[in-house]
Amino acid sequence: MAGPMRVHALLERLEINRESVLVIRGDTLVTGDVQLGDEDEVEIRPVVSGGVA
Amino acid sequence: MKCRRCKAPAVIDVRRHNAGFCRDCFLHHCREQVRKTIDDFDMLQSGDRVLVAVSGGKDSLALWDILRDLGHDVDGLYLGLGIDEYSDVSGVYARKYADKTGGKLVEIDLPTDVGFDIPNGSRVARRVPCSACGLSKRHLFNQGAVDGGYDVVATGHNLDDEAAVLFGNVLRWSTEYLGRQLPVLPAGNGFVRKVKPLVRLGERETAAYCVLSGIDYQVEECPMAAGNRHLGYKDALNAIEDQSPGSKHAFYFGFLEKASPLFTPEAAAEQEQLQQCARCGTPTTSEVCAFCRLVERASQQ
Repeated sequence: MAGPMRVHALLERLEINRESVLVIRGDTLVTGDVQLGDEDEVEIRPVVSGGVA
Repeated sequence: MKCRRCKAPAVIDVRRHNAGFCRDCFLHHCREQVRKTIDDFDMLQSGDRVLVAVSGGKDSLALWDILRDLGHDVDGLYLGLGIDEYSDVSGVYARKYADKTGGKLVEIDLPTDVGFDIPNGSRVARRVPCSACGLSKRHLFNQGAVDGGYDVVATGHNLDDEAAVLFGNVLRWSTEYLGRQLPVLPAGNGFVRKVKPLVRLGERETAAYCVLSGIDYQVEECPMAAGNRHLGYKDALNAIEDQSPGSKHAFYFGFLEKASPLFTPEAAAEQEQLQQCARCGTPTTSEVCAFCRLVERASQQ
């Protein structure tokens, strides 16, 4: 996906609820207002688990 | 975005607190939320031996780590569920954390020690897998605590878990469950005390805690849980939370403060009817407890 683009906008574009994921760049997290460039690679990690023990 | 505490660049935003945090301040925030929960609900007393129910996932490993940081005497109990590769990998993460920290990890393997695994056992017993799994966990974690001389079982249920369970119980007005949906269940009738110290943290926060603490955990979702009702409730609540941050907290803590007492008499009446299971001695409302009935049917696989 082409940058520059803020993390919030990326999640919105992908139709992902920001409450349900973390966005990881390199070895740390990034907040929604961070601007991502063309060269950035991010992991969008789901955080929702389904067990009801 | 700046950290609310120290004004350094933030790495995570927590919208229901209208705040961002840097790494160190976020870890501090998580510990303080757990400390406050333990104090507010009188969960742990000095000298308590605590057994954390460890799955290898983000919540239980974060809980184990935070309780250790807060100075509690805490060991882990890992229950192998026999869910193919998922269980194998989960066990690896639980052992890896224990090895790294020098923590004691007790292990029970459902197929080896009890005689069935969740996929086949639930099918033969004609139970939903998550139901058979939850029943097995509740029974074996309590049994593990009793056998090991622990005072308390601590589980990694977080705010999202509790809000989703509450949502489901309210949709069906399951009043007997509403009366027992508490962050602390006292000891008695053969049950050790059960506590949920993570109820002030959302699962996005427990996942972030692990990432920022360098704790590796099982990221993959349990294959048996895919598409279950609980996940649907979480989706619905996250859609509301996205529009109105703080809704899940208000829903759950509002329930505890304003509505929970209305349902406790029904739960208390059920407690009075408990007798010992004819097979294992566990408290139950019937002659043979639900877990022993599950074992009997599931072992026929």
